[in-house]
Amino acid sequence: MPSILTRTEAEDFLFHEAELLDDWRMPEWAALYTEGALYEVTSPASPDPVASNAANSLFLISDHIDRIRGRANRLMKKSAHAEFPRSKTRHLVTNVRIVGEEDGGTRLRANIAVYRTKEDTSTVFMGEAWYTIVNEGGTLKIHRKRIILDLNSLYNQGRLTIIL
Amino acid sequence: MRRGMKIMPLDNSLQAALVQANAEKGSFRVNRAAYKSREVFEREKKLIFEKCWLYLGHGTELKKKGDFASRRVGGRDIIFIRDRNDQVAAFYNSCTHRGAKICREHNGNARTFACPYHGWVFNSEGKLVSQNASSGYVENLNADGHLDLLPVPRLEHYRDFYFLNYNQKAISLHDYLAGARDAIDAICDQTEDKQIILAGEHSYSVRANYKFMAENSYDGYHLLPVHASFFDHLRDQYAGTSAAHVVDETIASYNTRGAVRGLGMGHAVLDSYVPTGRPVAQWLPSMGAALKPEIEAKYARLVERFGKERADYIAETQKNLVIFPNLVINDILSTTVRYVEPEGPDMMRITAWALGPNDESPALRAMRLDNFVSFLGPAGFGSPDDIEMLEICQTALEHTPIEWNEISKGMAPGGDRRTIAGAPDDEIQMQAYWTQWDLIMRGIETLET
Ligand code: FES
Ligand SMILES: [Fe+2]
Repeated sequence: MPSILTRTEAEDFLFHEAELLDDWRMPEWAALYTEGALYEVTSPASPDPVASNAANSLFLISDHIDRIRGRANRLMKKSAHAEFPRSKTRHLVTNVRIVGEEDGGTRLRANIAVYRTKEDTSTVFMGEAWYTIVNEGGTLKIHRKRIILDLNSLYNQGRLTIIL
Repeated sequence: MRRGMKIMPLDNSLQAALVQANAEKGSFRVNRAAYKSREVFEREKKLIFEKCWLYLGHGTELKKKGDFASRRVGGRDIIFIRDRNDQVAAFYNSCTHRGAKICREHNGNARTFACPYHGWVFNSEGKLVSQNASSGYVENLNADGHLDLLPVPRLEHYRDFYFLNYNQKAISLHDYLAGARDAIDAICDQTEDKQIILAGEHSYSVRANYKFMAENSYDGYHLLPVHASFFDHLRDQYAGTSAAHVVDETIASYNTRGAVRGLGMGHAVLDSYVPTGRPVAQWLPSMGAALKPEIEAKYARLVERFGKERADYIAETQKNLVIFPNLVINDILSTTVRYVEPEGPDMMRITAWALGPNDESPALRAMRLDNFVSFLGPAGFGSPDDIEMLEICQTALEHTPIEWNEISKGMAPGGDRRTIAGAPDDEIQMQAYWTQWDLIMRGIETLET
């Protein structure tokens, strides 16, 4: 496989990730990430979410691989009270654009809308995803995933207990 | 001039039934109407939120002259600003002409505020400097300043935590904070520099009564049932390190160390020991060897400054502080300032910030923020599970006829329930809160000079 993905290759991979999440196959989702991976959701109030850094400003989520796995494992437990009973989710991934190469992988951005229904309440998390996808010995892995929500707060969503 | 505040006549027959302490039976209970009744909420607006000191913001959020933040505090829209003389001020966010909201940005920097409607202009001290009209107004219409932005009746700070009060006659913030001042000191004294609000904030809503958030924020009793999955995660993190046994050891000894302590005036703190490590100043292997020298140096400096006992308290104790009625400062694995704005009997809005020493290294700052998001906030491994509990409490008490919540664990036989101490998993901090709430709601505690 060439080092830069085509849009179709990238889309196939992102659709696969979305499917794992909607099917609540969380450990398989975590296995999509590299050992050096970072999964981040910036704070909706951040003035510059593309450039912001979790080392010096408060994010909603900033998970290295240990916490990516921890997040996945936690969501499989009944003791993750916020997700019991589990939400129903639907991840839509569109407008995929390959923007270049980073860390030897493909840098891309995509628009996302993630619908979450818990009991009778449905909310949507809409925004943009920035990914770096690398090829590890023939297997595509996520090295960077940063979600930038088109929100000013989580007032309508309440909280973010699913994976975007 | 602020118009005279009208207090609704107290319906003591209802109020008398809401909080009941029966020392003989060892029972302290709160009527569920206190969490769900619209009538109670309307009375709280007058008696709690127009009488208590309410948190507005931290001085370090306004770094430069002209920096401002717009806030809603106790149902009122406020401009929190550092004026051109470097004075922190708070104005109601409404044009004195015909009412428009003057400041529509979340935060920013401004030399003046121009009203978008007819163009009146106010400076950072709130003075009306232009009416945008060449004719039609008598000269000196504003000679008495009544057309300047209206400042809140009282604004005071303790160690840069700014509070406002809508009652001109209120006691000082200093007296109001009572024993909470010492708890704030124990957090501020972590550094010889100053504690600052770090970049970024968490803002979210919870469909529950705001008093449920106060109760939960210093509740040691819920720790293991609600946060079992977080402790599972910690066990995984510590596996194979010298801290591998810390989680279970600390859990086993949880209610033998520390305390809950009423601090007077309805404030209380939970001092406890939880195996998360602390940026100030308790190192664990999971933080990485590189940070060990800095954290140990911080601890040594605390001992020099305050002696071992106080240093240990500052460094090792996790402090969950609730300042009556709606400010939480949790100095735990990271430090959060969490403001709870009630929006109705069954709805609150939370705004939370990270607090940290101005002089810590970038690596320690990064660890502090990483600790924060691991547990705290609307996407952490802890707070969402707390929120779920608050919401299932709210919905269940709205849809069942059960009248009482039982809050009696650790109940003392007598004394002022606002200043009693007990074990970390007792509920006497909540008894302190509800006792103050009851005294204010009955008009016995006026909080006035
Ligand atoms: S309402 Fe502000 S200028 Fe008229
Ligand atoms: Fe909790």
